[in-house]
Amino acid sequence: MEKDVVMQCEAVRPRLEAYLDGELAEAERALLRDHLAGCGDCGPEAAALERLRDGIRQSAPIYRAPENLRSQIRFALRREAGAGAPAALRAAGWLAYAASILLAVVVGSGGTFLMLGDRQEDAIASQAIDSHLRSLLGTHLTDVASSDQHTVKPWFAGRSELSPPAVDLSAEGFPLVGGRLDLIAGKPVPALVYKRREHVINVFVLPASKDDLDKTLTRRGYTVCHWDEGDLGFWAVTDAAPSELTDFERVFRAATGG
Amino acid sequence: MAWIAERRRRARFESVVLPHLDAGYALARWLTRNDADAADVAQEACLRAFRYFDSYREGDAKSWLLKIVRRTCYDWIERNRPADLVPLETETDPEGGVHAPLASGIDTDALLQSRSDLRRLDKLIEALPPPLREAIVLRELHELDYRQIAEVTGVPIGTVMSRLHRARSALRRAWDGKGCGDAM
Repeated sequence: MEKDVVMQCEAVRPRLEAYLDGELAEAERALLRDHLAGCGDCGPEAAALERLRDGIRQSAPIYRAPENLRSQIRFALRREAGAGAPAALRAAGWLAYAASILLAVVVGSGGTFLMLGDRQEDAIASQAIDSHLRSLLGTHLTDVASSDQHTVKPWFAGRSELSPPAVDLSAEGFPLVGGRLDLIAGKPVPALVYKRREHVINVFVLPASKDDLDKTLTRRGYTVCHWDEGDLGFWAVTDAAPSELTDFERVFRAATGG
Repeated sequence: MAWIAERRRRARFESVVLPHLDAGYALARWLTRNDADAADVAQEACLRAFRYFDSYREGDAKSWLLKIVRRTCYDWIERNRPADLVPLETETDPEGGVHAPLASGIDTDALLQSRSDLRRLDKLIEALPPPLREAIVLRELHELDYRQIAEVTGVPIGTVMSRLHRARSALRRAWDGKGCGDAM
């Protein structure tokens, strides 16, 4: 009898917190409940943990966002979203009038255009992921392997119409490993290759797309980040965590003058 | 036409994500331990969230925002108070994250015991190393389940469980040790 309780305790202890956190399935929960009711060691242990929880909830202040923070954020969002509005809409005189006619036309067919835009974007993202996968599976990760931008950048000259900014970001934790020519939508495009610990980040460089929205998409477990910078559109793909890719975008843009 | 989509996007963001601003601010407050910094971080996180709103899929908007708030907090701390980011002394964290590459670890117990000024549980929580602090705050105060905590903090569920256990053990020892268990 005595031995039974000891055996049980050994099984109960590792599950005790999960039990109190409501993480156990019903069957297991019932077993623990029975054990706690009868055990002179585990019962008090559970009670002590519950006291701690009550103590935390009573003593911890309830933090709420200050009133003005909410309105500040709304204001900042509006400004951020407004930056994307066509300049013509903000202009005065006949230009605004012309724009309003244009607007009517656009609104009429807007739905189709928007959907088309999304689908095109998806198609590029999807091809970028395919190319990313190919680069990982084969031996063809780089055509030119170097962390030196003075080696990588000139390599693309004459091979592609686009001249990507190949900056090394080792200091920020994203070393440049090289570049290669890849295919997106049937056209050869420069791809810059970076590493994030054991993960590879491929950055495909295309002509800038018309909308200048930043996008982060997740498809098939891969994250694709898209942004435009001047005449160039960047499509970064990785199997690292999405947050890593957004960090990458931030440091890459900071380093390339965006 | 892009701006029409943009306006729709903003309206949707305000109705889906902004309701969780209090939760986001509270997490930022626990991690930065300061009102003004928490407000700055919460605002920056919301703008970040808006920029990456397309990556949000239907579902748990609160966890999604908390994840971005957390990330923004660590970026902010890394920039402004890198000394706060001391790694745990023993933890093999497959994700690495901000704690992995730093030098030697700290002993959580020693940290709490050495602070004789800490008599209150909320102050003890503030003194916990960030990985333990965020786990206990997300569980006990935000009332997230293990899966959500794993999602927000980017570690496996097993790591969440061991961090919660370590946080609770350290809090209990420090709390009981100072004989203020009944005073709360």
